[in-house]
Amino acid sequence: MNEAMVISLLLGSLAAMVPIALTSVGAVISERAGVVNIGYEGILMFSAFFGAIFAELAGNGWVGILGGAFVGLLFGALHGVLTVYLKGDHVIPGIGLNLLGAGAVAFGIRAYWGTAGQHTVPSDAQISPLWMDAFGNSLSPMVPITIAVAIVAWWVLFKTPFGLRIRAVGENPEAADALGINVELYRFTAVLIASALAGVAGAYLSVDWLGTVTKQIAAGRGFIALANMVFSGWNPLIALGGAFLFGFFDNLAIYIQNNPWLAGTIPWQFIATLPYVVTLIVVAGIIGRARPPKWDGRPYKRE
Amino acid sequence: MEEQTPVLEMRDIVKVYPDGTKALKGVTIKVYEGEILGLLGENGAGKTTLMKILFGMLKPTRGKIFLRGKEVRFKSPADAIANGIGMVHQHFTLVEVFNALENIILGMEGHGLLSKIDVENARKKLQKLMDELNFQVPLDVPVENLPVGVQQRIEILKMLYRDVDILILDEPTAVLTPIEVRELFAVLRKLKEQGKTIIFISHKLNEVMEITDRVTVIRKGEVVGTVKTSEATPQLLARMMVGRDVVLRIEKPPKEPGEVIFRVEDLWVKGDRGEDAVRGLTFEVRAGEIFGIAGVEGNGQSELIEAIAGLRKVEKGKVYLKGVDITGKRPRELYDMGMAHIPEDRTHMGLILEMSVMENSILGMHWRKEFSKGFLLDWNKVEEHAKRLIEEFEVSAPGTKAPVKSLSGGNQQKLIVAREVSKRPDFIIAAQPTRGVDVASTEYIRNYLVKLRNENKAVLLVSADLDEVLQLSDRMAIMYEGQFMGIVKPDEVTEEQIGLMMGGVKGEPQK
Ligand SMILES: Nc1ncnc2c1ncn2[C@@H]1O[C@H](COP(=O)(O)OP(=O)(O)OP(=O)(O)O)[C@@H](O)[C@H]1O
Ligand SMILES: [Mg+2]
Repeated sequence: MNEAMVISLLLGSLAAMVPIALTSVGAVISERAGVVNIGYEGILMFSAFFGAIFAELAGNGWVGILGGAFVGLLFGALHGVLTVYLKGDHVIPGIGLNLLGAGAVAFGIRAYWGTAGQHTVPSDAQISPLWMDAFGNSLSPMVPITIAVAIVAWWVLFKTPFGLRIRAVGENPEAADALGINVELYRFTAVLIASALAGVAGAYLSVDWLGTVTKQIAAGRGFIALANMVFSGWNPLIALGGAFLFGFFDNLAIYIQNNPWLAGTIPWQFIATLPYVVTLIVVAGIIGRARPPKWDGRPYKRE
Repeated sequence: MEEQTPVLEMRDIVKVYPDGTKALKGVTIKVYEGEILGLLGENGAGKTTLMKILFGMLKPTRGKIFLRGKEVRFKSPADAIANGIGMVHQHFTLVEVFNALENIILGMEGHGLLSKIDVENARKKLQKLMDELNFQVPLDVPVENLPVGVQQRIEILKMLYRDVDILILDEPTAVLTPIEVRELFAVLRKLKEQGKTIIFISHKLNEVMEITDRVTVIRKGEVVGTVKTSEATPQLLARMMVGRDVVLRIEKPPKEPGEVIFRVEDLWVKGDRGEDAVRGLTFEVRAGEIFGIAGVEGNGQSELIEAIAGLRKVEKGKVYLKGVDITGKRPRELYDMGMAHIPEDRTHMGLILEMSVMENSILGMHWRKEFSKGFLLDWNKVEEHAKRLIEEFEVSAPGTKAPVKSLSGGNQQKLIVAREVSKRPDFIIAAQPTRGVDVASTEYIRNYLVKLRNENKAVLLVSADLDEVLQLSDRMAIMYEGQFMGIVKPDEVTEEQIGLMMGGVKGEPQK
């Protein structure tokens, strides 16, 4: 492995880190406040699709990112109303959203662009990289943004009144309520932040990293992000690290698969599972057994 | 005192719960500035309901609240706190993973929702509060790792940090050891000196006699009367509460114990944090004997009971029931062998709060033939059983189908005791059996344990209430850091000797 390959591997890892990190960090915030949402896969699908549309209409990738955030926000608001205000089940809306996302985007690509299953986003609607070399390796501005988001999220959660309250309503909403904290408002806000971040992640897939919209564009990243959230012990910084690890092994797997000499000796099925297994082991190993917020997934009703 | 206007008056409060339970039928209480008012009443009398209304947690069906002569209406606890009224509940409302500081400042962290919390400033303010009250709590340890007594002080600090001047304490001493009670009382006296007003709920008459200035007694949702503590006696208060004379003594005829029913040999058990909580205990309980274990809570009693009852792993040693090795057996096997268990923590281990009284009444024996019809439960029989328990133990419950969480704290406890003794055990573990239970029922439960003993059953009593252990036990052990400091006969030791043993000084070895 030479220096160019190392750089390529590293940049590839960072690019793959972004969507998982953003979604995980959002999920951490939401669950710290006590709201479970398993619909991130669906949000990624929708926001990748609509993000591309917004970007193409405006001829600007950043508009796509904002559009993705907006789409995420809408789904988040729906989930928040159902779970936080109407005290509904936290899991069912997500299942619906994921199913809908899978079907609707496939249909939407055909209906909007008239192509079957895939559409390439024109380069003027894509986000231009911060840095690029002659071999096509590049660094997206979304990478530093993602790292900043994770750090800020950690700081807000653990150092500020807002974060203290978010964690309080997820651990013991009754205690928070008794001290005059508007449990529903904090939970709802957390859900909005989480889904907006997932929305940004989705748009990043189409208008930045992959530059295309496909009917399987989320490729399970919404679920990986959830697993990563759990193994991070609901900590944004560790979730960031976990996402990077996943990105790294994901790229390593591709590298091995593309290397005829290595690919011949190791069965590819094994290589394909590598990123999942290794990320799981490493992150779970660091954290050990973490405990979810006590009221995670439970609606709060005052007596 | 009587002429001045009360700082607080609750007038003609009526509360009907949604299920139709009339918890309060027109209650009026007056509280004067700077006094400690005791609120006394049987289980289910409506004390907690009344205080929850005052604290804005429940809406009264009817009635008015006047604060310093002005009518007020609180929509939420936060509202009440803003008006200077604070409450510490029977069950604490602390965020377990937060430390004391975080729990206390929550909601009052200072300026700027997104700016850094000024921890040092909060710490200084808290330190000042603690210095004034002459006690300390560790501010940086997650509260779940702190003893209940400390958690309670954190709850009190939480209210004082918000400048409340009326403090409601709902059965604050139920979970405390005698030493912690004394410390709490010192704090309450300090608060009174500072001019705070306190409403104090307890079932323990001697505590009420000691700490309060006046006592208001409630029975079945109505005020029976208010007396000055200086003019009251425990007997008078008990009579007001129950409506009849209460024997505050236990009749316990002498009795020769029989064969060994239960035996523990060199038992070692680990605590939640992996420490050795029980360190090589050996003892036996005979038929027709009450064996009591006293000691400051947290010295391994809980772990010991759990290990015996099959709920915690035994690291080393043996447990025998009627000569059979039961080490490591599952709870169900133990129940089938004639063991019953009144757990110390009723809301986590004894009851399923969301389920009905009926369902709870057969927990742990639901597989028995008497309740089944083929593969199904015979609900008629279950209901009959539940009704019998309710009647016998005077559990006041809205009905057999009501969820257990709608029972008052003391009545939940009575239901557990009733269920466990209805299992007709040969060996019964009674852990804190009368915690939160009113005088009349305490008397009933204690007498029942003695009755079991007289019927030649073996009883293992574990209680933080030293009087209870002294009164009931035929032999008693004092536990300290996982070991017995001595096994003695209650009438052969002085309180001082016991006090020393509770503090870790080994007593004379006895036969
Ligand atoms: N949520 C509820 N729904 C219906 N009934 C209730 C509810 N909470 C309490 N009750 C009933 O109201 C009555 C008064 O209960 P409360 O808890 O105020 O009693 P208490 O005086 O505090 O008793 P204890 O000393 O046992 O704590 C009881 O009969 C109880 O069963
Ligand atoms: Mg009560």
